[in-house]
Amino acid sequence: MLIAVVSLALFWMAAFTLWWQMHAWRTPEVLASTRFSSPDGGGHLSFSLLLPARHEQAVLDHTIQRLLESSHTDFEIIVIVGHDDPDTTEVARYAEARDPRVRVIVDTHEKKNKPRAMNTALPHCRGDVVGVFDAEDQVHPELLAHVDHAFRTTGADVVQGGVQLINFHSSWYSLRNCLEYFFWFRSRLHLHAQKGFIPLGGNTVFVRTDVLREADGWDPDCLAEDCDLGVRLSSAGKKVVVAYDSDMVTKEETPGSLVSLLKQRTRWNQGFLQVYRKKDWKRLPGFGQRMLARYTLMTPYLQAISGVIIPLNVAVALFLDVPVGVAFITFLPAVTAFVTFVFELVGLHDFGKQYGLRVRFVHYLKLVVGGPFYQVLLAGAAVRAVWREQRGRNDWELTSHVGAHLTAAGPDAHTGPGPGTAAGPAADTGTEAAAVARGSREDVPA
Amino acid sequence: MTSTLPAVTTSEVTAQRTPVPKTGSTPRTTPSRLRGARADLILCGVLLVVVMTVQGWNIADYPTLSDDEGTYLAQAWTVQQGEGLAHYTYWYDHPPLGWMQIALLTWIPSLISPESMTVGSMRIVMLLISAVSAALVYVLARRLSLPRWAAGLALLLFGLSPLSVVLQREIYLDNIAVMWTLLAFCLAASPSRHLWHHFGAGLAAAAAVLTKETMIFVLPAVLVTMWRHSHRDTRKFAITGAVTACVLIGMSYPLFALLKGELLPGDGHVSLWDGLAYQLTRPGSGFILDQGSGSYEVLRSWLYYDRILPLGGLAGALLLLVTWRWSVTARALAGPAATIAVLALVALRPTGYLPAMYVIQALPFLALVLAGGTASVAHGLLRRWRDPGESRYVTRGRYAVVTLLVAASAVWVVPHWYDGNRTAVTTDANAPYRAASKWLATEVEHPEDTRVLVDDALWLDLVHAGYRPGLGVIWFYKADLDPAVTKTMPRGWRDIDYVVASPTVRRDAVDLPNVNQAMKHSTPVATFGSGPDRIEIRQVESDGTADTAGTAATGGDR
Repeated sequence: MLIAVVSLALFWMAAFTLWWQMHAWRTPEVLASTRFSSPDGGGHLSFSLLLPARHEQAVLDHTIQRLLESSHTDFEIIVIVGHDDPDTTEVARYAEARDPRVRVIVDTHEKKNKPRAMNTALPHCRGDVVGVFDAEDQVHPELLAHVDHAFRTTGADVVQGGVQLINFHSSWYSLRNCLEYFFWFRSRLHLHAQKGFIPLGGNTVFVRTDVLREADGWDPDCLAEDCDLGVRLSSAGKKVVVAYDSDMVTKEETPGSLVSLLKQRTRWNQGFLQVYRKKDWKRLPGFGQRMLARYTLMTPYLQAISGVIIPLNVAVALFLDVPVGVAFITFLPAVTAFVTFVFELVGLHDFGKQYGLRVRFVHYLKLVVGGPFYQVLLAGAAVRAVWREQRGRNDWELTSHVGAHLTAAGPDAHTGPGPGTAAGPAADTGTEAAAVARGSREDVPA
Repeated sequence: MTSTLPAVTTSEVTAQRTPVPKTGSTPRTTPSRLRGARADLILCGVLLVVVMTVQGWNIADYPTLSDDEGTYLAQAWTVQQGEGLAHYTYWYDHPPLGWMQIALLTWIPSLISPESMTVGSMRIVMLLISAVSAALVYVLARRLSLPRWAAGLALLLFGLSPLSVVLQREIYLDNIAVMWTLLAFCLAASPSRHLWHHFGAGLAAAAAVLTKETMIFVLPAVLVTMWRHSHRDTRKFAITGAVTACVLIGMSYPLFALLKGELLPGDGHVSLWDGLAYQLTRPGSGFILDQGSGSYEVLRSWLYYDRILPLGGLAGALLLLVTWRWSVTARALAGPAATIAVLALVALRPTGYLPAMYVIQALPFLALVLAGGTASVAHGLLRRWRDPGESRYVTRGRYAVVTLLVAASAVWVVPHWYDGNRTAVTTDANAPYRAASKWLATEVEHPEDTRVLVDDALWLDLVHAGYRPGLGVIWFYKADLDPAVTKTMPRGWRDIDYVVASPTVRRDAVDLPNVNQAMKHSTPVATFGSGPDRIEIRQVESDGTADTAGTAATGGDR
């Protein structure tokens, strides 16, 4: 009978996840409401755009130039570089010299990470709204105008724009990774906004400067500072608005290797666990909100468990002699998983349509075949995260561990056609290091 | 407090709507929501009361108890007893969901009074099914943008046609399946175009098929309806969701067989495969328009009860399909019209088997199409080619024509239906059954040791009277067809004490050697009714060899 109980629990879990995942497509009206509304060209807010960069001299300049092309008239770009990172600093200073809207802030923390960098810059922000981007983001020129309009028309404290991984054709896992982002930003996040509990993404996120200062900025010791900020702000009753437009998403790329994806995922999971243990979410007013928070923050672990149990259940039903009724119940989670699978296939089709990308049959095939393996990867990351969290229980050494890892990778990362850098000797290592660096930066929970 | 962008929800949503006028079913914004419209609620409620009164009055005594009703109710009883899906080996004749639902519906009444679990008294639960179906017909009509009066007309046609009254009173799986199908249609035509409504439509469609497998023919029409009512932006999710839901739930039937090890044929067990093979290779009943064929007889029996709904509906469907290009109503009713077209084509197979209850699944759609056709004609007469400056005389002329038509159809329809329904609410067709049941309950001394062959309709009565279910009181054909039963009758007909010869038993005995022998070697001890409808209780001659059971396997065995 235990198996029946477990199956039912898993079924409800999977059913809820599916329900939320499909939020945006519930009705045409909901789908329409997830988009940005067109800006009216009226009065505007000023923006301070934070751009933390670390060993990203290769891509930084391009990102800055692209941001400067924005149609919005009132914004500053604050590039945050480390005092131990001369190459990136050089690129940043070069941009600062060319355009008065660019400023460089040097972060002198001994242990470096993204929340600390951004906290360093927070006192220097002059705009009404602080926005966060990553150094390799491709930002749409119209985005700021739309965000501005969204702030003014909705009275929001926070606006989260869409982020989308785009290179689905690179590998089997990038395909799944892209789709995860698609379902998360296209759909699920809107539900969170509606329910009043939202783990924010790591970039394309905009917060009113006073609200952010009031909240003391980011948690410097949290591995998922973005998620944490969202949880704290929504617990404090701040209004969060999410908007997704395929034209206007910030485009990114998946981590360069399976290992870096695993590391990235481990960090998010551990971050989620930290946020869960910080218990800020307990201040949410509604019981439903708290349940949603609890569930969302636990998701990586539940996902890991279900990945193992669903096949086990089916095997039990087929090969052991259980009553037919019980056998049926053990199939329920598999049924939900199958429905999810089908919706993912449709999602992939929609993704292709939205971005004008050609999705071939082989991609659908990869999506299906890769599913179980991706599940293994997620389970691995979940286990790894728990293990690390347990080990580093009282001190926050882990954060610095990631930082140390980055620094160690630093000296090799001299590749790329960035201004002021020569081609390094070890191109492969460089790419790898850049990928790792990127892996530790894309702070988007999915 | 957080939320999504409200600015967009208000302004852009209307713009997002499909440009419907091109494809018909215009008033998507008009209140097709039952909840919102009080007038709909009142109209539907009043009409339901009328329909339920006609359908419910005298429900136990008319029409004659049918063998199939007995089968399903007996199996529902077995489910209630927790003894599996049937008291004889379940052989995948139909998916079991139908009588599982009957078991659920009759569960509480049978707890209160176990003896009430007989075909006559439990017909009352079918009233509930009919009521739900009738209400769904109304809702569907409104969702397919018929005007209120036409929706009411559809409900009345569906509920009051003497053919409906007769068939919907009976405990047929088809009636339950129709309810699920209507639900699927209603959800597919959901005005909010909600993903999970469409998903639910898939679930309901699967439930319909698992209740009565013939509903599979109707699925394409559900799909058509869903396609027309979904929005371009969300359609692919909605349709795939619905199809997936339907297939997954549908798969539970083969899965069930698989788990029991009965999916594929094998020695010593029944199988889903064999069950399907039997249903698909059932000897055909001939071409429906071929006088003298079995199918023709079935058609005649339908038309005996009512010509207006079947023929009028068919004509309406043809009209709608022909006027597809010009008529908004025709496009709005594409789903029901397609359903009728498909069902008509299936019925026209020259070699197929056409059971009497086949028409049940067409009834609501015939009603919808007939009502829709009427609405279309009325609209054409009253509004078409009408310009603001039209002279009053022309307008009056239009109304006069309509009034004339209404009066004419009333003169034609009302007497027919009045007669048919008067029969339904006054005739007592089941007195012989009741008398036979009473006789067997009171005149036989040791029912627990007595073996009786009966038709399925009387089976539960005798179970309540103390006969042993399954091997004491025996579905007559099992004495020849079920190895588990024949095994207990080593001496063939001599192991039987009584045969209750109802019309069904007499008809089928020809092909059943054991039953036939038992009939031949028996004499009536009591006869109820007269003529071909009489029920005889025949006592099998005992020839003094009753104690030597098992010594001689007689000719009737297999």
